Amino acid sequence: MATTMRGLTQFIADIRGARVRELEEKRINKEMANIRKKFKDGNLDGYQKKKYVAKIIFTYILGYKVDVGHMEAVNLISSPKYSEKQIGYLAVTLLMHENSDFLRLVVNSIRKDLHGNNEIDNCLALHAIANVGGSEMAEALAEDVHRLLISPTSESFVKKKAALTLLRLYRKHPDVIPAAEWALRIISLMDDEDLGVVICVTSLVMALAQDNLDAYSVSYTKAVDRLNRLVIEHEYSATYAYYRVPSPWLQVKLLRLLQYYPPSEDPAIRSVLHQVLQTIMNNSAEPSRNVQHNNAQHAVLFEAIGLAIHLDTNSPLVSTAAVLLARFISSRETNVRYLGLDTMAHLAARAESLEPVKKHQSTIILSLRDKDISVRRRALDLLYSMCDVDNSELIVGELLRYLRVADYALREEMVLKIAILTEKYATSYKWYVDTILQLISAAGDHVGDEVWYRVVQIVTNTEDLQEYAAKVVFEHLKAPTAHESLVKVGGYILGEYGHLIANEPGYSPLEQFHILHSKSQFCMAATRSLLLSTYIKWVNVFPEIKPQLVLIFERYRHVLDSELQQRACEFYALAQRPEEDELLQNVCEEMPPFPPRSSALLSRLNKKQGDTEDKRTWIHGGKDANTDRELTRRKTLNQTNGSATSATNAPSTQDVMGSLAGLDLGTADGTTSREQPNLAVGPNIDRWYEKLTFSSEGVLFEDVQIQIGIKSRYQGHVGQLAIYIGNKVPTPLTSFITAVHVEDPEALSVTFAKIPPNVIAPRTQTQQLLHVECKKAFSTPPILTVSFLAGSHQTTSIRLPIVLTKFLEHVKLGQADFFERWKLIGGAPRESQSIFPISLNSAGQLDLPKYRQVIAGHRFNLLEDIEPNPNNLVGAGVLHTSVEGKVGCLLRLEPNKEAKLCRLTVRSTSEDVAKEAQQLLQKSLQADT
Amino acid sequence: MISAFFIFNQKGEVLISRLYRTDFKRSIADVFRIQVVSNPDVRSPIITLGSTSFFHVRVNNLYVVAVTKTNANAALVFEFCYRFINICKSYFGKMDEESIKNNFVVVYELVDEINDFGYPQNSEIDTLKTYITTESVVSATQAPEVSSRITAQATGATSWRRNGDDVKYKKNEAFVDVVEVVNWMGSAKGTTLRADVDGHIQMRAYLSGTPECKFGLNDKLVIDRGAAGLSGPSSGLADRGGGDAVELDDCQFHQCVRLNDFDADRSISFIPPDGEFELMRYRATSNIKLPLKVIPTVTEIGTTKVSYDITLKTTFSPKLSATNVVVRIPTPLNTTDVDVGILGTGKAKYVPAENVIVWKIPRLQGGQECSLSAMAKLTSTTTRQVWARPPIDVDFQVLMFTASGLIVRFLKVFEKSNYHSIKWVRYLTKANGGYQVRELT
Repeated sequence: MATTMRGLTQFIADIRGARVRELEEKRINKEMANIRKKFKDGNLDGYQKKKYVAKIIFTYILGYKVDVGHMEAVNLISSPKYSEKQIGYLAVTLLMHENSDFLRLVVNSIRKDLHGNNEIDNCLALHAIANVGGSEMAEALAEDVHRLLISPTSESFVKKKAALTLLRLYRKHPDVIPAAEWALRIISLMDDEDLGVVICVTSLVMALAQDNLDAYSVSYTKAVDRLNRLVIEHEYSATYAYYRVPSPWLQVKLLRLLQYYPPSEDPAIRSVLHQVLQTIMNNSAEPSRNVQHNNAQHAVLFEAIGLAIHLDTNSPLVSTAAVLLARFISSRETNVRYLGLDTMAHLAARAESLEPVKKHQSTIILSLRDKDISVRRRALDLLYSMCDVDNSELIVGELLRYLRVADYALREEMVLKIAILTEKYATSYKWYVDTILQLISAAGDHVGDEVWYRVVQIVTNTEDLQEYAAKVVFEHLKAPTAHESLVKVGGYILGEYGHLIANEPGYSPLEQFHILHSKSQFCMAATRSLLLSTYIKWVNVFPEIKPQLVLIFERYRHVLDSELQQRACEFYALAQRPEEDELLQNVCEEMPPFPPRSSALLSRLNKKQGDTEDKRTWIHGGKDANTDRELTRRKTLNQTNGSATSATNAPSTQDVMGSLAGLDLGTADGTTSREQPNLAVGPNIDRWYEKLTFSSEGVLFEDVQIQIGIKSRYQGHVGQLAIYIGNKVPTPLTSFITAVHVEDPEALSVTFAKIPPNVIAPRTQTQQLLHVECKKAFSTPPILTVSFLAGSHQTTSIRLPIVLTKFLEHVKLGQADFFERWKLIGGAPRESQSIFPISLNSAGQLDLPKYRQVIAGHRFNLLEDIEPNPNNLVGAGVLHTSVEGKVGCLLRLEPNKEAKLCRLTVRSTSEDVAKEAQQLLQKSLQADT
Repeated sequence: MISAFFIFNQKGEVLISRLYRTDFKRSIADVFRIQVVSNPDVRSPIITLGSTSFFHVRVNNLYVVAVTKTNANAALVFEFCYRFINICKSYFGKMDEESIKNNFVVVYELVDEINDFGYPQNSEIDTLKTYITTESVVSATQAPEVSSRITAQATGATSWRRNGDDVKYKKNEAFVDVVEVVNWMGSAKGTTLRADVDGHIQMRAYLSGTPECKFGLNDKLVIDRGAAGLSGPSSGLADRGGGDAVELDDCQFHQCVRLNDFDADRSISFIPPDGEFELMRYRATSNIKLPLKVIPTVTEIGTTKVSYDITLKTTFSPKLSATNVVVRIPTPLNTTDVDVGILGTGKAKYVPAENVIVWKIPRLQGGQECSLSAMAKLTSTTTRQVWARPPIDVDFQVLMFTASGLIVRFLKVFEKSNYHSIKWVRYLTKANGGYQVRELT
């Protein structure tokens, strides 16, 4: 079979050769008639079908309408030959829109290709899914695409395409992808040895993590690790170096991903990250000659600076960054200037102190006059962000001056920003009123209603300001042309406070009236009705101009606008009432102050900044604005999380909780809003755990694949836990992720000493060190989650034997001391007591050595010679915590051989501790039932 | 007035560019190329962008474009363009990209001659030919004489005709051709929805000296006036014209016709230019005689077939015949194949390139009738669309027949020498894409 299709080549040559459009149409009509005939006759072999469908595609691309050949395209997809399949897929993606009925016919063929062993077929299918991506298709095939992505047998290029296809599906139909469920599986691919796969997967993770921060939190460590390997250890193949920068795209993506998360608490991660950022900044200290090299380096650098700002605005890194940024904002290249300003705005939006930014204020103000509008916009944003009480007058003045010459596209935003800054950083009310009125007269059309509403609110609520405001408004109205917004402000303020200035020369009632009324004819109906209200107020306070005002009401009684007419009629009637009538006075009482309310301006500004695909991690404006935003974001996130978990939990807990129907499940969920990993269960697991609560080393978990052992050492409120993870199978465990989940991070902190490795070679063991610190009394042990890839993806969650008693230290007490304290603490609630069965040893005697061992294992000091009965055990210890300090703890154990029972009493200065210690001991001592 | 004049080829390349005034730069040509040539949506011959208007005429894949900034008379501008096209045809035999490129020097000469500072000048082909020649340069000695003659003619009373003594023919002959293009739109039942005739009278005069011609038609106004006895001499002729006088809606004349006389008594008198010229143009909309009748029956059978039954009838006398009859029957866009059968004369076949069945009849005698039956097979389509059913189109020519009924009653030639002259009159009616029957019932 010929690889080239002569008929097609000829057809294209003919069309290209057509001199006139009409000839082209003729040729196409002829060909289409031929194709219709051939298709109708049937009996076409694959080659012919392919050829005709290719012709149809070409015709379609030229812009002609095509309505045959869809069925043939569908048939071609299931052809075994690559070239035919390819044309079929091409036709499907081009000719069919995402809601086409034909796609239903295709779904099965696509699925078959996805499942097939031929990678090229897989890729074709993935392409088709990504290009068409209808919702039906997404629902049907997302699962298969995911399978292809995670399958260990997939080639790298299939994985890449699968990741991008999933990304595309997620962007279009976020609900078809169970993002949280797939989280670990997808994140584990970030360890792939092929950087291309990593880039693609990182893109996917970025999109998913934005909406599922918690589920994807493991990616944080992965990203840091990968950055470390790229930047510091230079662990990448030469093909991924772009002008000597190691895969800048991946770096940028990782750096951006890290910005989605709050800075990590883990010192190991922090130090690595710090090192990475430091290296990146050092690398780009001197610009190179090569443009591409520069571009790549800058791309990484700007993202790194963004991350550094995000992590900690006070770190020395940020001060280095500020110096670099200063150089960039005066760069000769537009792009660099733009990015410099943008990043500096980020800095200004986050930093505690604006000093490093303020140093360059004059440069930034100059950037307002840059020849590129996008740079001007960024300069405006930056000025807005860096404004504070000290420089507000300067900046607002500069913005006002610039407003007159600014682009129209920019003005509305500018006006809003000026209005907000003026209000926020006003040093004096006079300055505020002056500035705002200047603003209104300078940029009339671009001033939204919110701006002048706000002026009126503020003037009404501030008594000292009213007289001054009235005067200034009057002066502004004197200008030959006044903008409508100004007339509105003038109408309101003069109506309310005109009488305050009426006695001064030049501000007489008549003059006020003339100046306002001269503007009314150019105004819209809404403004005029506002002016009518002003006039009725004046009827009340200025009886001397009442005839003129009444005349105006009289005239307005006949206008067509119903609102105006109604006002005029009512006001006319009101004004005509006899002098001694008090109704008018009552009606025109001065306005009471407005209830304090938040400015509508900010919400307006925020509304304008729609979220794009890649959400920003910060907003323009000062530090406060950003912290506010963080809070609200957390809140909404928690809410959605809460509702999500309650939704998923509800069906499963229904049976168990059926009897507790009255209980509000929502509150229960609220307290444990963070998702709890599902614990691995098994009789051995519990036994191992119990054993480890009172011994310092032993096996924690074991199955056919791995074994986890623990060694621990505690000193005061800190401890060190070594976890040994052994691979028992002859293949390496890849994508190894270990994470520790702590119920209450306020009480207990557990961190890895360094970033855990992600591969465990066959039949070897790795050790991971955990630093533990007890801050307060706690009751739930932390949970270790281990996930890895061995054939399939496996996740195991187990409790770590870190319990409260581990932080006890021995104390030595004499008999007298002991009983004194014992009594001092007294009974309940600081005493916790229980009676429970115990087991005897094989001889039927009390197993005292065992009890002693347990109590000692729980780090109580066994005190001898205190109890007269030798069978009774007495212990004492001091609990060390870093926040709550030391808590004393005393214990008595009274076993009874005949009843096979024992009584355990724990007294402590903290009731929580007493209860917790008693429960822990009881669990270890209790006879197996 | 016309500020610039361009000729573009199909691709938008400038072939001829002449600026008559300084209010445009040459780059204005780019504007036209972008806005019109490369924009397939533009079909209007006049595009106004800002204060600039582009008038264009398309002929053989050339764009003849006149550009103006003022509020110029659009009819005049188009007349100028068409006149230019006629001149080119007469000079080069045809007007296409090749002939313009080969003769661009002459074209520039012509463009300069027929327009001055944007105002159209003498565009009479015969006159132009006397001083813009395609032959070799006239020798220097003769030149002054010739040029003085040209001046005399151009400024004389009859600028379109050379001095009377210079024109001499052995045989004095005059040929008159009446050519009518009939446009008709009929319903499926055969009733007329719209009908009109565009006619023009083409004359070739080979007459010596300075002849004075008088021309008579069966124009209804003239006939009526004659019947009322207002004008004595023509009353006899009026009788001959009979009752089938023609109502002409509007007439346009060559510049040689004395319009004063026409306005006064509708007599057409003139001193003809030497050679071929278009004497008059007219339009008729009432009492149109249709030479052919088309009776179509088109039925869609389900969604897979369409059957056609078309009958063609002639209405003129058996002595005459229609030639080059071409019937175009549109088929649905998803036709795969058509079976055609013909009763009578002609050949028919399906032409997929144009989505039509073309039925060609070389000759159809008066009173004859023939019919075609065809069956089109359709294929199924992805998106089912209703077929718009475009009209059936018929082209033909009938000699010695006028659809309007116009007859040349007389042509008289008066000359000082009083020579005998021979006059020939020919009639032709044709349809050119405007003779259509709707298939819709």
